[in-house]
Amino acid sequence: MTEPRVGEELKKMESEYEPLLPVERKLIWYTFSTGVVLLAIFVLISRWFV
Amino acid sequence: MTTLPTTSYPCAVSSEGEALATAESRVTEDWLAVWIGLFVFALSLSLLAGIDLLGWAVTTSVWTLPAKAMAPASKLYAHVPASLSLVGTYFFLLVVLLVAAKALGVDLKRFAGGFTAIFVVSYACWFLGSWAYIAATPDKRAGLKIAWSLNLTNESGFIIALLAGLVVGNFLPGVARAIKEAVRPELYIKTGIVILGGFLGIAALEQRQLAASVIFRGICAIIEAYLIYWPIVYFISRRYFGFSREWAVPLASGISICGVSAAIATGGAIRARPIVPIMVSSLVVIFSVIELMMLPFAAQHFLYNQPMVAGAWMGLAVKTDGAAVASGAITDALIRAKALAATGVVYQAGWITGVSATVKVFIDVFIGVWAFILAWIWSAKIEPRRGEKVKVVEIWQRFPKFILGYVATFLIVLGIGVGFPALIPKVRASMGQANVFRAIFFLMTFFAIGVLSNFRKLWQEGIAKLAAVYVLCLFGYIIWVGLLISWLFFHGVLPPVLKGG
Repeated sequence: MTEPRVGEELKKMESEYEPLLPVERKLIWYTFSTGVVLLAIFVLISRWFV
Repeated sequence: MTTLPTTSYPCAVSSEGEALATAESRVTEDWLAVWIGLFVFALSLSLLAGIDLLGWAVTTSVWTLPAKAMAPASKLYAHVPASLSLVGTYFFLLVVLLVAAKALGVDLKRFAGGFTAIFVVSYACWFLGSWAYIAATPDKRAGLKIAWSLNLTNESGFIIALLAGLVVGNFLPGVARAIKEAVRPELYIKTGIVILGGFLGIAALEQRQLAASVIFRGICAIIEAYLIYWPIVYFISRRYFGFSREWAVPLASGISICGVSAAIATGGAIRARPIVPIMVSSLVVIFSVIELMMLPFAAQHFLYNQPMVAGAWMGLAVKTDGAAVASGAITDALIRAKALAATGVVYQAGWITGVSATVKVFIDVFIGVWAFILAWIWSAKIEPRRGEKVKVVEIWQRFPKFILGYVATFLIVLGIGVGFPALIPKVRASMGQANVFRAIFFLMTFFAIGVLSNFRKLWQEGIAKLAAVYVLCLFGYIIWVGLLISWLFFHGVLPPVLKGG
């Protein structure tokens, strides 16, 4: 497999930035907030019950 | 949906840009690791029937006189010369791995040559690492009649093997090319992990409550790794570094989940061009080696009184299965040595490695699920294509099969121990013999990881920006959050204490 010119491609990305779509923002936010809530729940379970 | 590469280190790109991964084959290294691991495991269990099929395998103790360093694993074979035991171990592994190589469709002559070189160098490193002045712990110095030692235990052989591999990979490209057919760290580490399952089964039998607690906490910790690591790394690479979605998904997965496998699986899920996860994977391998050389020593210094936190930290912070479990093994040895020297406490060996492996295995289990979720979001919401549906069967296709072997050996040992308690001493002896091969597979993993780590990739055009995200996220976020999560779940959980405390 030949490697593309990664440097050129990454520079091009800066000028042709793909803005974050609402669905991406939702994915980031929902995933992270679910993680934080579950973290608190699991820590409590592991301290009290396990 | 893009077909995923079947080999586990497609990222491993030589200096000429030549993939070290081998030709396509219907059999994957993943399944081969299961069968090889189960084969060694089954042979070791022959002890239960009163037949010692693996006792001739070579073990190396901490030594001051080279002639007394090596010996067969079992007393039954004590009369066998150590050199014959070593040669027998080599030929046994050669034959087993040649069968695997045949199944993979690689050139058998080149594989045999490469494996021979890897075995010889790796075992020489193990031998050197077992030298008393390097390996002996303080409690052993008097018995060995030495005044000082580096207190690194004989697992320092792993570090020496890694360094030897790095020399070959970075300064001897001709040698790296000559042995490339046998440079298969994922095959070796996954086989080692399958065998490790039985060894951990014995540990779990002896400490059932502790083992259950470790498994529960391990599951909790990895869910957090997915949900807390991934979105932040994805956001940083998209928002602040301007990466496109095609680059940001494999990058976030490679940095935050399980390196190579996750980058490839999620890259395939969003239909990234194959080169994208491959470039990300190159970085994953390089930074895994950097972590492998730093984190175990940091853990030894700061976490020797919290060994299980250290083990979980290795599983959560170090990417790639090989480097993570290898880091766990080194941390296990370093922390036990430090705890003994500093506090006089002797922890049972294997628990720290076990936590690292448990965390890593659970992370691997969910890669397929995460790839499925991303595939669904991309196909339904971000890049919808008419008539295209994501199939649930893809979760199974992406499931790392070596985990089945790990779970099988763990449950078989546990089942025998629970059902027939009188057999526990024999099962323990069996796993001790299998563990000889586990150590050799780990050792070859270290050397192979070193060979595949081409640091010159870092200076290539374009890699710098990828590396910048990697450095920022890994050393500024992943490592510290991993430590925090490990601390929250494993703080105060200690391995069984054999002496002191």
